[in-house]
Amino acid sequence: MRPLPLWRHEARRAGWTALLTPPLAVAAPILIAFVDAGANASDHEIAQNLFGALEMGVPLAAGIGAASLVGRDPAAELLLTTPAGYRTILLRRLAVTVGWTALVALLLAVPMIATGWWAKWPANHGALPGQLIWLAPTLGLAALGFLAGAAFRGPAAAGGLVAIFWIFQQMFADRVQEQGWSRQLYLFATTRGAVPADWTANRITLIAVSIVLGALAWLLLGRTERLIQGVTE
Amino acid sequence: MIATARYEMAMMLRKRSMWITNAVIVLLLVLLNVSGWGDALRDPDARNTVASTVFLMNLMLPVGYGSLLADRLIRDSRLGVAPILDATPASPTGRLAGKYLGTCAAAAVPLAVILFGFAAVYSVTAGRPVALAWAALAYAVVVLPAVLFVGAFALTVPLVMPAPLFRVLFVGYWFWGNGISPAVMPTTTQSVLSPAGVYSNQELVGLRDFTLAGPVPGATLNFLRPEATPATAWLSVGVLLAVAALALGVAQTLRTRTTR
Repeated sequence: MRPLPLWRHEARRAGWTALLTPPLAVAAPILIAFVDAGANASDHEIAQNLFGALEMGVPLAAGIGAASLVGRDPAAELLLTTPAGYRTILLRRLAVTVGWTALVALLLAVPMIATGWWAKWPANHGALPGQLIWLAPTLGLAALGFLAGAAFRGPAAAGGLVAIFWIFQQMFADRVQEQGWSRQLYLFATTRGAVPADWTANRITLIAVSIVLGALAWLLLGRTERLIQGVTE
Repeated sequence: MIATARYEMAMMLRKRSMWITNAVIVLLLVLLNVSGWGDALRDPDARNTVASTVFLMNLMLPVGYGSLLADRLIRDSRLGVAPILDATPASPTGRLAGKYLGTCAAAAVPLAVILFGFAAVYSVTAGRPVALAWAALAYAVVVLPAVLFVGAFALTVPLVMPAPLFRVLFVGYWFWGNGISPAVMPTTTQSVLSPAGVYSNQELVGLRDFTLAGPVPGATLNFLRPEATPATAWLSVGVLLAVAALALGVAQTLRTRTTR
């Protein structure tokens, strides 16, 4: 267990960008839900937007946040000499990024459960297992972003890769769900899923993939000479 | 300006990550519709085949290069070289224009490789070399305006907010402004303001697989969706370039203020 000041320092270092990004990412679909509510939309449509905020907005914020962790330290060489190790520091930053995003997700999910909006979406999967609606794609995209950051040694291309993966699944939702292998990797299986029976397998697959991608990133970050070389500008 | 543009372009083109990111998108597009691409390569309608390919490219690839370009202008300050560059005889406006044109040119190179690569293969498989001419037209009126539009915002917006936040908002904008149907909610999709370029693709290149440009019955913001004609297609290109110039003007103002 690491001392609390270290975690506090990392949370402060992340700054207001990291603090603002997840709330802003979920704000748009929530705003649309409110506009829908004002325009006499059905409960189903409003609930879809609220679940969209959880399943689409939260993972995108976590993914781009995780992709922005490597390649931004002006004195990475110094951090590499610390007893804790640079990749442990990066892992702590990843935990802060994903942790804060998860907290924002819960701040939306808990009131939805309390007010009954959670139950208004047919595929809600209950209050507790239903948290996989945002947790599985969040872990998946965060791990992809972290690995891409480690591979590219910079946030620009890594963020781009996360963005592409997200937008691809939005624009080609039908196409992605036509084949079994890509359906298991579909991020939005709750709100835009074509085969409800595959939901649990899809969530487990996303979490398993996130573990594999995270492990690969850990191994890649162990090759410290790559990090000293810096990103190719 | 030319020296800055050449340097920025060379620097971007050497980024392996830019090529890998574009390759990933192409791979995803191919993997999910292998048989569809097989049919497309034998389709005798060269004009529509090129237009459909450009439509797919312009729907997906801008998200990648938009994210990649987001750190180009703020990078000088981050590396601490901005004051040194400000002290050189090169004018700030010229350097900004050079950086903009250089990075946009570099972002446009992989797009040219993908589009003309496809057109060349198609020319052989379908026996329609005219596809290369259609690809050249599509590149000029659909792909390049999108690059210039996205590039202007990718350089400007990170001056007022951190690049990661811009990337998240940009992806959200792209989905909202180019992907969501106008029948569902107020959006710029299928309008003259959409950098996906549906007007120019439909009216100038010849997209016929689906009709996207023009008014949508019952949709809001239909004043942004005039009847699709070649004239409104050119209007769309002009509007996109004008908005891009406006964004660059804001960037110049912001940078001048920071320098003071």
